[in-house]
Amino acid sequence: MQDQQRTGLHKPETVAEALAALSDLGGGGTVMAGATWIMRAPFRQEPMKPAYVSLAQIPELHRIEFTQAHVRIGSAVTHARLVRELQAIPELRGLVSAAGDSANPAVRQAATVGGNLCTADFAAADLVPALLCQDAEVEILTTEGRQLLSLDAFLGLRERLERAYLLVSVLVPRRPLASAHARLPLRKAGDYPVAIVSVAVECRPDGNMRGAAIAVGSVDAVARRWRGLERAVAGLPLDALRIHQLALDLADEFVGRDGPEVPGWYRVKVLPTLVRRAFATLQQH
Amino acid sequence: MAVRINVNGEERSFDGDVVTPLLDVLRNSFFLTGAKDVCREGFCGACMVHVDGVPVISCLTPVGLVDAKSVLTIEGLGDESDLVPLQRALEEGDAVQCGMCFPGIVMSLTNLLAQQPLAARDEIKRGLCGNVCRCTGYERIVDAALTLARNERRANV
Repeated sequence: MQDQQRTGLHKPETVAEALAALSDLGGGGTVMAGATWIMRAPFRQEPMKPAYVSLAQIPELHRIEFTQAHVRIGSAVTHARLVRELQAIPELRGLVSAAGDSANPAVRQAATVGGNLCTADFAAADLVPALLCQDAEVEILTTEGRQLLSLDAFLGLRERLERAYLLVSVLVPRRPLASAHARLPLRKAGDYPVAIVSVAVECRPDGNMRGAAIAVGSVDAVARRWRGLERAVAGLPLDALRIHQLALDLADEFVGRDGPEVPGWYRVKVLPTLVRRAFATLQQH
Repeated sequence: MAVRINVNGEERSFDGDVVTPLLDVLRNSFFLTGAKDVCREGFCGACMVHVDGVPVISCLTPVGLVDAKSVLTIEGLGDESDLVPLQRALEEGDAVQCGMCFPGIVMSLTNLLAQQPLAARDEIKRGLCGNVCRCTGYERIVDAALTLARNERRANV
């Protein structure tokens, strides 16, 4: 017996058509990219939308472009493609690690950059901290036109943006950085990570860090930069054990969100160890 | 509008809701029950099929996104009288247990060995990290896949 419900599925071929479809649907529709989050709505006791706008047939959203200044990643690029196409770029090792270790191989074939960034209820998205510490910007299309926002600003705004918006691309600045990503799932793969630490560091000729960007995911409801620790490590040698001690001292900046897999305090407890692991990875490189 | 899919070389159509999981369409409408209905959350891999040659978790794939694409299920891979080399290696290695996770594992390994015919043990394990076996027969499964990879290496010498 077939389900009697008939969900609408729009398949625009340009971003303008997609935006028009979203505008027409109002609150009755939303974007569908890889669908890995949407299809689990029943597990979260959330209703499915009456209609979806698929991004699968919009070529612009599937492109990765390289310029002197940026790597521009279309929002419908999957995690698996990120790994394949960015693995030769040394400064993006952290982002590639985030994409390549998230979920499991088949989910990585479907889940997209845009889905990771736009799903406000998904606190454990690996790409968010990895892109935050790269100072990434996002290109948004609304009925007002295109605009660039820092990823940090977008994360604060995304639930208040008008319904008809489209995340078109992510711009990652090209800089002489070293980056790494550390995550703690409860088993080796498949689980959502309990906590995530992404770091990106620029070193001076004397080997000390000019600056370090440190982003934390899955601990709070929304991933964020750990500014207190960034200030504490600026100018120091790249020494994972010393930075671990600083992270232990400063970890009370986080409260930790309670979840079905672990209580909030546990996420905070493991955070300094993940900081050490991320910096140790940088030392190895 | 009906969704049209080529399933194991045969043109099929589905006239239900576009957000119906591909898994349910395969099992309930096309009566292809090789892909198993287990976690429905994308964690266990028991429902793995290939869409246009790429392994996908069919429980999380809305059928509307598969329109005009080719789907390969375990039924399309080989049958009892004509097993593919991977199936033969798994059988000869006595790796097959209860059968719940197995179709998904075969579909994952088929793609992995097509992409990396010389895959090493760690690469095979990494490729199988999205397939959960509750019988915990992983080592013999990995051994069987390694046998194929070794044969491939020998053939290349």
